[in-house]
Amino acid sequence: MNRAPSPLAERIGVEIERAIQRRIKGVEYIASPAPPMGATPKDSVHTEGTLNLYHYRPVASEIYRVPVLIVMATSNRGYILDLAPQQSFVAFLLERGYDVYMIDWSAPRSDERTLTMEDYTQRFLLDCVRRVRERSGEDEVTMLGYCMGGVLATIYAATMPEAPLKNLVCFTTPIDFSKMELFAKWADERFFDVDRLVDTVGNVPSDMLLASFDALRPASRVAGQTRLWEGMWNDEFVTSYRMFERWSSDMLPLAGEYFRATVKDLIWKNGLMTGDMFVGGRRVDLANITVPLLHVLAEHDHIVTHAAAKPLVDRVSSTDKAEVTIKGGHVSVVAGANAQKRLWPKLDAWLGARST
Amino acid sequence: MADGPYDPLGPWRDLVAQWEKGINSLANTTMASDQFSGSVNSAMNLTLRMQQKMTEVMATYLTTLNLPSKADITAVGDRLASIEARLDRIATLAERVVLAMPDTDVRTVAMPPRTKQPTAPAEPIPPESP
Repeated sequence: MNRAPSPLAERIGVEIERAIQRRIKGVEYIASPAPPMGATPKDSVHTEGTLNLYHYRPVASEIYRVPVLIVMATSNRGYILDLAPQQSFVAFLLERGYDVYMIDWSAPRSDERTLTMEDYTQRFLLDCVRRVRERSGEDEVTMLGYCMGGVLATIYAATMPEAPLKNLVCFTTPIDFSKMELFAKWADERFFDVDRLVDTVGNVPSDMLLASFDALRPASRVAGQTRLWEGMWNDEFVTSYRMFERWSSDMLPLAGEYFRATVKDLIWKNGLMTGDMFVGGRRVDLANITVPLLHVLAEHDHIVTHAAAKPLVDRVSSTDKAEVTIKGGHVSVVAGANAQKRLWPKLDAWLGARST
Repeated sequence: MADGPYDPLGPWRDLVAQWEKGINSLANTTMASDQFSGSVNSAMNLTLRMQQKMTEVMATYLTTLNLPSKADITAVGDRLASIEARLDRIATLAERVVLAMPDTDVRTVAMPPRTKQPTAPAEPIPPESP
């Protein structure tokens, strides 16, 4: 007579199986390359040193009239928005009928240490918008910025109210830098000699930036590796871990003058809040922004805190504006399973209605 | 990753989560102090001064040996980059000339029609469910 195994015996069986799988897959993990990322087909439209403008090939049979220009954060690679075929924000937009462009950054060359905030916001963005308009044949463009990409897009929109923007979408964009307390403390004007740093090193090395970001949660990398060991039996978990781990470690250096302006104007002066910031001779006044605005905040963001991102919607003059707080952290709010479920459909509903 | 009510690794997971939270919290409190910021930045300033001095000394030695320094190599790289940028500007100008010609379409990919309409009208975004 056969008796069904008890739940405890079943569970022990599962754990033994997982323990075996951990060892086998642990060896595979070390021996195999990281999964490919950023594989959605695209064309390079323009390159100028650190700047790359890409156009993703449409997949829908008809697309919205207004093209979308994504502005990536200057310290990170754009493939976080195009991870894997089933987890790609870019692929999602293409399937939903958007015409997608992306400004992605390469490591600035040594001669690009002189690039200023004006170069990024009023030269690069202006130039890319012009190219998107020419290529698409449309007058208006939706700009979508992630993190510091959102700051660039915001400064562009605030200093150039005549810009042909249809919509502005910001993901976890810091506005009140005093609320990014640890960064503000480390860059305290009394102790941090940004002039000496930039004058000595030129472009600020990516190792230094990575160390700063890691220091926000110093135990998390070790804890993450512990979780990796535990979840090693699970292929999906391991693939996801590797993609996020690779991306978060793959930081870019920052152009020296741009970093200097970030510290002095954004952190020390808190210029986006005080209005005491000028770029290219124009005051950065958020009240100049009148286009439809959507700002997505992450509830548990440890890099751009909720309080740091919160003021944007209140400070613009747009009548059509919305703020949405999504459960998740700085990265999981835009990429991965959490974003796929919580953010992307909301964004599509908002943006689709404003892209005709 | 629990499959049932009994999870033998559950206590281990909880322990790791508590350890992570505790260390992060302690480190954040420590790093938010003036003393921490002051000492880290003092150390960085010292390193930068040493780096600057070392660069100057090395440059002197390399000049004596008639060898190029890092700055010299970088200058050559900058020069090449400047030529590259100039070529890019020329390409841009050529592109504009082409664009100005009648019946020119710069799009290299066949584009679908821009006729898509939203499935629903603009509505306020509902808040996150708890």
